[in-house]
Amino acid sequence: MFDLSDIDFEMIFKRYDILVEAKESPEEIAAKILPKDPFLKKVAEDVVQMRYKDIEADTKAALTKFSPEELVDKGLLRGMEVVSELYGRGIYYLPQVMVASDAFDLGLKFAERTMKGQFLGKGKVVMHVAEGDPHDIGKNIAVVMLRSNGFGVIDMGRDVPVDDVVKTVIKTDAVILTGTALMTATMSAFPKIAQKLLEKGIELPFICAGGAVNRSYVESFPLGIYAEKASQGLVLANKAINGWDWIRIRQNWDDIKSGKV
Amino acid sequence: MAVKRFTKMETKSADDLVFGDAKYPVSYGLGMKAGAGFVVPEINFAPRPGAEKNPDTLRREYVDYITKDIMDRAVTLGFPAVQLENEWIYQLGNEPDKFAKPVVAGQKEVMKKYHDEYGIMTAIRHTLPDMREAEKGLREGMDKKSSYPEKVIESIEVAAKNGADVLSIESMGGKEMSDYGILHQDIRAWLFGIGYLGSIDMEYMWTKIVDIAKKNKVIAGGDTNCAGANTSMFMAGGYLDKDIPRTFAATTRCIASARTLVAIECGATGPDKDCGYEGPILKAISGRPSAQEGKGAQDAHADLMGNLIASTCDLWSNESVEYHPEFGGSSVQCWLGVIGYEAALMNTSKQLKQDKILRDIYAACDSYRSPEAFCLRYDNAYKIGEAIVAEGNSIYLRSRAAGIKAAELISESAKTKNGLKLSKHESDMLNKVMTDLKALPDEESKFVDQCLKAYKDVQAFNPKNYEL
Repeated sequence: MFDLSDIDFEMIFKRYDILVEAKESPEEIAAKILPKDPFLKKVAEDVVQMRYKDIEADTKAALTKFSPEELVDKGLLRGMEVVSELYGRGIYYLPQVMVASDAFDLGLKFAERTMKGQFLGKGKVVMHVAEGDPHDIGKNIAVVMLRSNGFGVIDMGRDVPVDDVVKTVIKTDAVILTGTALMTATMSAFPKIAQKLLEKGIELPFICAGGAVNRSYVESFPLGIYAEKASQGLVLANKAINGWDWIRIRQNWDDIKSGKV
Repeated sequence: MAVKRFTKMETKSADDLVFGDAKYPVSYGLGMKAGAGFVVPEINFAPRPGAEKNPDTLRREYVDYITKDIMDRAVTLGFPAVQLENEWIYQLGNEPDKFAKPVVAGQKEVMKKYHDEYGIMTAIRHTLPDMREAEKGLREGMDKKSSYPEKVIESIEVAAKNGADVLSIESMGGKEMSDYGILHQDIRAWLFGIGYLGSIDMEYMWTKIVDIAKKNKVIAGGDTNCAGANTSMFMAGGYLDKDIPRTFAATTRCIASARTLVAIECGATGPDKDCGYEGPILKAISGRPSAQEGKGAQDAHADLMGNLIASTCDLWSNESVEYHPEFGGSSVQCWLGVIGYEAALMNTSKQLKQDKILRDIYAACDSYRSPEAFCLRYDNAYKIGEAIVAEGNSIYLRSRAAGIKAAELISESAKTKNGLKLSKHESDMLNKVMTDLKALPDEESKFVDQCLKAYKDVQAFNPKNYEL
């Protein structure tokens, strides 16, 4: 083996990620988003800092002053907003998002106990992995991201037949559908699903993602909206909840991606 | 066949690890040899979406278009050898007799025609799809809904009987646990999922594959931890990705090598499978030929070791490309050109006895591009191999040893002036991985009890899949 100590690796590769490591501290970023009320702030911080052990007591304390709906909206979800911001800036990595969302779930369970019904969130999202495809890690990440950002998720799992997806969308009156596929031969289920939904007069944004899936393919069939990553699915879903139909989302996809709209 | 664990290194020294030469070369197919003094390009492909519409359209795509295009281009460019790899799509595996049989037979017929006419060395690897799902059951008789375990075995038999030269699989055992480990940055869960559960499932699966291969006089190639370590590697990604730290991914890769080794311990002879980036470690331990992919696989994905991983390959692969037209011909023809010329360069260096120089240039180029590349550099791969064989008889202890050795190597390099550079998150994770692995019990039974209790609620995890 050569002596590598004299090589100028700057001319071979650059660690751009280290060069641009975040300068702002997580605390400074969180301070801009966290609620001011000390009870809600404590709950939100439990989520951000993944404090499982504290969340029950802090949630109960907050419920003495706030309704469960307020607790979810202004405490738990605000905590996840901080987490999403830290993730977007590259300070938090994905596993931290997952663990924080576990803390969020725990808090939500305590809040739901005092609600009149189940927390329905922003709207129902049906999520699935295409028939014949066992690769579900991307879908699982997206499930967590949507659920911990206030969406009501119906997770159908992996290897889901076309007709089952269509039936579930109808039965649950979902407002968004998502599908993921790692393989080219399984993603062909997506246009079939879109076609069957249209035949039944149902139009909803159908967010498609996964290793083999690309924008050109997804935009080749009606309803389809491409997502590069799970985190982008959340941004697109928020547009849908705000009343954007699939055509408008598709037409503005580049601006949504770059954060212009 | 009884499983024979590796307790010593078959390759004498790290310096003996070089592309094109394996201690135990393998002959198969239509005059093909692997690890016998030269490197062979291995071209992998996927049909266009829609081609799976029916058996006829799929056969036409694979045989009349893809296979013919490959063989034409191999002869056009004067390549002495070409290996094909057919990674089965779902439809082939779900109805193997109906969809796969005509494809497997048709591909071999085309290859034979070129072999007879031009004398080109050629062979085909069929990589069967592991469709099994943990929640439905991984063993035969368990999956009442889809019968996936039975379909996997049927697929292997259809391939072996109808024209396959090499059998491989990307087996999925332990994935439900390794996915959890990745998402929660829990190295213990990952070790349990891949190092332990994965190794158990490998033994189950590879005993069957080797048996079918022997009955049909074909080669049992090898596996890959594509489902686990590649998930980890791709999520760690490049310098714009922030999903998981690359130090975590590097450790998972080295743990995975102890699991992928089980195929060889069950009787697989290699060449192992290209997307098993753990190949250099396997080759160091077993002396069996290795297929690898790197810069010639940019059609499928980006990685941070495009040159380095070529250092020890015996087959050089493009991973997989969807069939479509390019300016220079069809995609399979263009990417065969890329990997075929790289193999020609390696083979020229061998003829000139400069192969170790080229190997070291490949290695130097990406040594510090990522912790995972660094661990797979041939000298470090050898050290990880030594850590594995030192605990060879315990699938748990050797997996843990691989992980600890990887973390130590990364840590030592990061302390040197011109070595690995780590981000804060990578560095923090490295310390956590090291602490967590060292804190684990020295007894396998204690570790298993601990994990069965800690992870009993992990989605889709069913100990019965592993006879636990």
